[in-house]
Amino acid sequence: MDSTTILIGLASVLVAAAPVVFAVMGETLSERAGVINLSMNGTILLSAMGGFAVSVRTGNLFLGFLTGMLIGAAVALIVAFSSITLKQSQVAVGFVLALVCRDLSYFLGNPFMGLAGPRLPAWPLSGLKEIPVIGTLFFNHDLMTYLSFIVIFVSWFWIFRTRPGLMLQGIGERPAAAYVRGANVNLMRYVYTVLGGALIGLAGPTYSLSVKAGWKGTISGLDGIGWIALAITIFGGWNPLRAAFGAYLFALLQWLGLVLQPSLPNIPSQVLQVAPFPLMILTLLLVNIGDAEWVERTLASLPEPTRRFFAKAFRAMRASPPAALGVPFERD
Amino acid sequence: MDDAPSYGYLSVAVIRSLQVESVLHEVMAATMKKVFESEWVSRLIDGLLPVFATLAALLVGAVMLLFLKVNPIEAYKALWVGAFGTSNAFAETLVKATPLLLVGLGICISFRGDVINIGGEGQMIIGAIVATWVGLTFTTLPGWLVITLAMLAGFAGGAVWGGIPGVLKAYFRVNEILSTVMMNAIAVQLMNFLLRGPMIDPAQAELASKIPQTARLLEIFRLPRLIPTRLHLGALIAVILAVLVYILLWRTTLGYRIRAVGQNPHASRYAGIKVPRYIVLALLLSGAFSGLAGATQVFGVNYRMITDGSASGFTGSAGFNGIVAALFGQLHPIWSIPASILFGALLVGANSMQRVVQVPSALVIALNGLVVVFVVSSEIWRQKRQRRRLSVARQDGDSPPPADEQPVPHTEAGT
Repeated sequence: MDSTTILIGLASVLVAAAPVVFAVMGETLSERAGVINLSMNGTILLSAMGGFAVSVRTGNLFLGFLTGMLIGAAVALIVAFSSITLKQSQVAVGFVLALVCRDLSYFLGNPFMGLAGPRLPAWPLSGLKEIPVIGTLFFNHDLMTYLSFIVIFVSWFWIFRTRPGLMLQGIGERPAAAYVRGANVNLMRYVYTVLGGALIGLAGPTYSLSVKAGWKGTISGLDGIGWIALAITIFGGWNPLRAAFGAYLFALLQWLGLVLQPSLPNIPSQVLQVAPFPLMILTLLLVNIGDAEWVERTLASLPEPTRRFFAKAFRAMRASPPAALGVPFERD
Repeated sequence: MDDAPSYGYLSVAVIRSLQVESVLHEVMAATMKKVFESEWVSRLIDGLLPVFATLAALLVGAVMLLFLKVNPIEAYKALWVGAFGTSNAFAETLVKATPLLLVGLGICISFRGDVINIGGEGQMIIGAIVATWVGLTFTTLPGWLVITLAMLAGFAGGAVWGGIPGVLKAYFRVNEILSTVMMNAIAVQLMNFLLRGPMIDPAQAELASKIPQTARLLEIFRLPRLIPTRLHLGALIAVILAVLVYILLWRTTLGYRIRAVGQNPHASRYAGIKVPRYIVLALLLSGAFSGLAGATQVFGVNYRMITDGSASGFTGSAGFNGIVAALFGQLHPIWSIPASILFGALLVGANSMQRVVQVPSALVIALNGLVVVFVVSSEIWRQKRQRRRLSVARQDGDSPPPADEQPVPHTEAGT
């Protein structure tokens, strides 16, 4: 494998990660505001199907992406309504929605199975594209991939560098304090959940109109992506930059799996297909291990330099969720 | 002159009657309040809640049917006849209900221990794989022995698949919702690999089609059936196990501890219960029942394993629907029996409704989803009511009913 192949491969990783990035950023925003949108897996499938169906019928790509975002926003609105207004369990509602949306996408998408549909054209940025290495890596993609770069940066900037972003952190960490500071906690939660849902909904058409163009029902290979995105959100510690790192790492591992498969003929294809899942479990384990009681106890008994090294490593990997995540806000 | 006193009398009488009325009102209101807040009425409301939830869902479904210009009465009649109309239909309902009940029993255990097991699908698959392997390997042993071994193997396989997320949660703080979902994905790929490779039917291996399925089980290894229906012994096993799970949860120390950890891990820890151990145990047992569900599907219904690449192709989503059935049965093993029969009926009946009145299958799915949403919401509402009742009792200075000493278990504080 020469360096050009590797470079093109890495560039394809950035493309493949784009939908995961949208989903993870959406979920991060939503969870930052204190609402878990567990419906992600179903939402992505339904919006992929919906976006594809609309694009096929109208021939218009923009409408397809818009439909995906609207579907995502609508599902998020159900999550928001039942968790913020009705104060029901976000996990239960989200999980049920994940199942219902998945089934709905398969059934409603039946007439569109295997149809040839439009596909987002590549849009190399002339001028930037000619820069060696960087040009191939970053500026030779389609619109959605560029948008994914922008979304990462904007979400990070919004959360950590702006005043409303500070308020967003507040309503997820200490809603009562944010309320005293004049924030309309429940309204903001609605806004961020629906906005996050729209971003999650954008992931679907990014698959069905670009990365894995088409709709193939149960064999689209999209089922499970939402759960992985959820794990990446946790791995990312609710920080857009770290979450983006997780998304790219995941795409890189998938690409490596594909590349390595021919050179490892003894390994069945299912092993590489399944590899992301144990890896995700492992990352969740690493993120949380510092909090485990027996680890703390073991650490305390270790000699000083070793103890300090592990304590530091665990702290670096650790990610704690927003304190009020999943807790409805009641002012009294 | 004469009028004045009579007016006075009248006004007094009016005032009196008003007072009487208001007193009456108060008494009535107090009585109503008492009746409404009394234990058994609350219990009745709680018990009937899932039924109301189902009726509400069917009502919404009826509106949707009207939009499709289908007579809802006719449609629901078709559903009823399809599920209960003939003895064969009823047997089919029970066949569908069996895996739901088995998975649901496991869910009763894990949710009571405050562990959310969403890995029923994967655990069913692993249980089925292990059981199938037993059935295809020990072909020289007598039938009853192989069936027993296979059921035990399925139980153990599911236990391992549930135990892994249990250990991850108890000792590594990994969220069990995420890890069980991922274990599902791993199980599906394992099944796809085994059924395309090492466990493929030798006959299929030679054909070009290579349908990913195992060989058929020997006839003597099949679970006995109630001829002429497809109802198999697994249904009886599930009902017996429901009673055993009830005994486990409310008549043994082990069950008591699982529930104690579920209700208050901190208090349990101070009471000397090794909390992580019981978290693992709750998930392990939960997985075991799902594994058994998978094993009975192979030995009672399909007689072989076959995959279409997805989990639901084998399980029929019983690993998920079992959760709903258990919630419907208020996480009580005995109540889960009628609950899973009802869901089995819904599954079977919806199919016949689709055939008879020609509604799109998407509507059937939507109807199932509606029932699920309504039932889960009502369950959450019930728990909130219960919590409020307990806190009211506490404010009144009464001690709350000691949750773990009650003889009637399904009234206990939920998960």
